[in-house]
This record gives sequence, structure tokens and C-alpha cells, in this order.
Amino acid sequence: MADVSFAKNVVDEVAAEERIAAVSQRRWPGRDRWLGISTIVAFIVIWEIVYRLGLMPTWAFPSPWKVVLAFQELIANGKLLTNTAASVGRQITGVFFAALVGIPAGLALGASPTARAAFLPLCRLLYPIPGIAWIPLAILWFGVGFTSTVFVIFFSGIWSIMFNTMTGVQTLSGQYTEVAKVYLASRSLYTRRILIPGSLPYIITGMRLTYGVGWRVIVGAEMISSITGLGFLIDDARWQLRPDIMICGMITIAMIGWVSENWFFDWVEEKTIVRWGMRTT
Amino acid sequence: MLTVESLNKTYVSQGSDTPALVDINLSIAEGEFLCLLGPSGCGKSTLLKIIAGLIPATSGRIAINGKAVSGPGPERAVVFQDYALFPWMTVRDNVEFGLEARKLPVAERREVSSRLLKVVGLSDFAERFPHQLSGGMKQRVSIARALAVDPALLLMDEPFGALDAQTRQLLQDELLRIWREYRKTVVFVTHSIEEAIYLSDRIVVMTARPGRVKQIVMVPEPRPRDMASVDMNQRQREVRAVLGEEIARAAALEEADLMAGA
Repeated sequence: MADVSFAKNVVDEVAAEERIAAVSQRRWPGRDRWLGISTIVAFIVIWEIVYRLGLMPTWAFPSPWKVVLAFQELIANGKLLTNTAASVGRQITGVFFAALVGIPAGLALGASPTARAAFLPLCRLLYPIPGIAWIPLAILWFGVGFTSTVFVIFFSGIWSIMFNTMTGVQTLSGQYTEVAKVYLASRSLYTRRILIPGSLPYIITGMRLTYGVGWRVIVGAEMISSITGLGFLIDDARWQLRPDIMICGMITIAMIGWVSENWFFDWVEEKTIVRWGMRTT
Repeated sequence: MLTVESLNKTYVSQGSDTPALVDINLSIAEGEFLCLLGPSGCGKSTLLKIIAGLIPATSGRIAINGKAVSGPGPERAVVFQDYALFPWMTVRDNVEFGLEARKLPVAERREVSSRLLKVVGLSDFAERFPHQLSGGMKQRVSIARALAVDPALLLMDEPFGALDAQTRQLLQDELLRIWREYRKTVVFVTHSIEEAIYLSDRIVVMTARPGRVKQIVMVPEPRPRDMASVDMNQRQREVRAVLGEEIARAAALEEADLMAGA
């Protein structure tokens, strides 16, 4: 069939164009990456200079090298691992529950104008409350520890995933719904095979934001309502006058946040919406 | 097999009624290839969607084999202009969607989709995703998806409108081959006179909005049809004469709308 071979050529052409684009981007190999790394190195150098010039009191301002030594100490005594594990565990649990409630709620809000009329005003009122503001209540209700931190992450994070899922459903092409009607798809098949995958670009963006918000409030929550976790590690270092440990905690938070927010969600996108040609950005 | 009786469609918005379709009466025989031809905005796609059960009519009756229908049914399938394939499903899963909705066992679905992908020449593309296909291939998938549920009535809404001329020609021939082989009844919406004459047994020419049936033109020429032949040329002139004034009227209406909007 002529059209089939014609189409094959089209596919090949597109692939060739993409290759050319990829090559032209690599004219200066890794140029952007080196620029980024140089800035980070410069930041550390300035930090060292400020320390050496004695612009800050040394008991409150450690050198970069002292932070490296603190890392070594925290790894050796196991505190880094246990506290990181505690934080990551709470984060994953909190984000999991936010998704468990937020995605179905977002699907319902997106699909039903009645649900939107009923629940959106309440959601809009709750949404601006900072996650941290829930901490005292959470401690009253659940005590100090795992549950109260998870609760705070949940309440901080649920809005992004819920509102994004709702938008995803609302922007889904009406034609997909028509196809579902024509072929007499059941409500559950429609939800499973059309509504959820069709809203996935928005759901993933929502999960990214939910994860980011959760990871940003966890430290605050742990400082107040916990005796483990990276937030506790940072706060506890205050009593020992160990700013080097505080910075270790901060760097660990930065690295875990960066890796999970970028690598993990990029990977999920690569496996789904990029593969399906649905990436909008 | 399909009858449309005194069908009207009126859109009501802010108290003012806008008629879209007025007193449509049609009777389509089993195995017939019928084209709805009209200027843009004449409501031919609306009529098709009403027949498909996707839009309710304001009044009138649609019956299939004597039975009144409202809403979609298993004896009808639709092929949309912009394919309406699900980008997150492989070509095969797209073709099988109607069968999945009918809860057919996986093995049987497989069998049907393999057979139909072969019919439309896309066996090698079963595991691809729609965005990896050309427009012509996408529309083939959409046709296979419609055929999979074995509908008696195939409703096609300007299915080749977005394709380039060569691909369009190829798909027209393929559609005729499939139509003959599977003995489907086809209702085909188009705004192209050539396409209508090349494909159909009968052409329903519609007026500019509100849509009415202006005239029904028979096309008795045997297939394959030679568009360059004297007979076909004569036929084209005939239809063009009927449609011409409607196209002019549609253009005038559109201009008036734009003036009113400005």
C-alpha cells in the first residue's frame, strides 16, 4: 500500500529531524552543564572566603570542609541514615495519602459541575492555610511523631494534586467522551481507560507540586512535632551549637528533593506522556 | 434500514432560538452509501451526530429497522474527522476499544484486531502509538476501530477532510472496498462535491443554515468510477449547480455574522 510506505517515510523523516536537532544542541558538549557546575563551585569558594575573612563568628558559621567532616561523622554514627529514612518514610506516606484522596476527588470535581459547586468554595478557603499552621492542631490530635507529620504533609500537598487533576479532566477533549459513548463504554471503563490516562499530564504535574510542597514543609513539621527526621536533626543541632550539622541536614534535604522531584517524575513522564506524544510543554 | 422523520434541531441560547436543522426526512436502504453534502455550517455534522445518538434532536424520530432509537447503540459506529484516537493506547488497543467496552475476552479481541489491522494494512504498526502514525494511517485505525464492533451502520463525519489529496484518494478506494466486502450501510458527511460523487449511491444536498434537504441526487454510475468521464463530469456540473447557490448563501450568512460581531 502506497500510503503505508509514504507514512513510513514520514516517520523516518521525523526521526531524522530529531537527530539533527539533537546534534545541533550538542555543538558545545555539556556547555550548559559546566556553567551550572561552575556557579555552584563559585558559591562554595565565596563561602570559604567569608569564613576565612572572619566576617561571621566561627562558632555560628562553619567552613565547607567542616561540613564535609560533619557528614562523615553523621554517616559513621548512623544518624544521617536513620533520620533521612524517617523523613522519607513520612514524606512518601503523606504524599501517598494526598494522592489517594486528591486524585479521585480531582476526577470527581473535574467531571461534575455539581461537585464543583458544592466543594470548591470550601477547598478555596482551606487551600491558603500554610501547612505549618496545621502543626499545633496535628500535635493536639495525634501527638508528637509520625502521624502528625504525615497529617501536615497531607494537608499541605493535597491541593496541588486535586486542583491539577480537576483541570486535567476539564481540559480533556470532549471527543474522547463521544468515542466512549459511541462504543457504549461503562462508567468504570471510561474512568480507567480515558479519564485517568487522558488527565495524566496534569496528574503528574500535580504530583510533582504535591511532592515538592510536602518536602518543603516536612522540615518545619519535624522541628516542632518530632524527635526524628532531618528537620529534627537540624533543630537538635541548635542545642549542640553545631551549625555544620544543620548545613548537612539542609544539603541532604536539597539533594533528596532534587533527585526525586526531577529524576523520578521525569522518569514517570518519559514512560507515559512522552511515549504517547502528549507532552504539552 | 435507517429512517429520519420530520427531524428538527433548534439551539436555544439566552431566550433566542437558532434553528440548525429543519424538517429532515430521509430513508436509507440497507447497504446503501449515502453522502450528506452541504456548505460549512449547514448542520450536516449535527445531523450525523444526532443519528449517532450523541446529540438529542429537538423533535422528530429516528428509527433503525423500524425501531425508534435515542442515544448510541451497538448497531452504529462513528468515524470522526480528526480521528479521535486515544494517544495513550497502542494502535491495537485503540482498535479493540469497542470490544473491550463489550467485555469480549482478550483472545477474541486480539483475533478481531489482528484481522482488521490486516484489512487496513497496518499489521506492522499494531504496537505503535497514534502520534507515530501519519494522518492517513490514523484514519485507518479509526476505521478499523469502527469495523471491530461490526456495526450495520457506519457513520463518517468528514473522515478524509484533513488528509492530503493522494492519501484521500487511496482511503476513498479502500473505504469502497471495505464497504463492498462487509456490506455496511454508510452515511458519509462531506463538503467536497467530487468526494460525494465518487463515493455515494445517493447524495443528500443540504441548504445553508438552517439545514434542510434541498435535493437528493442519484449517482447510478457503476464503480470504479472514472472522474474524468463525460458522465461523471455531467454529474459534477449538476451537483455543483444545486450546491453553488447554497455555498454563496452560506458565505453571505457568514459575512453578515462577522459584520454583526464587529
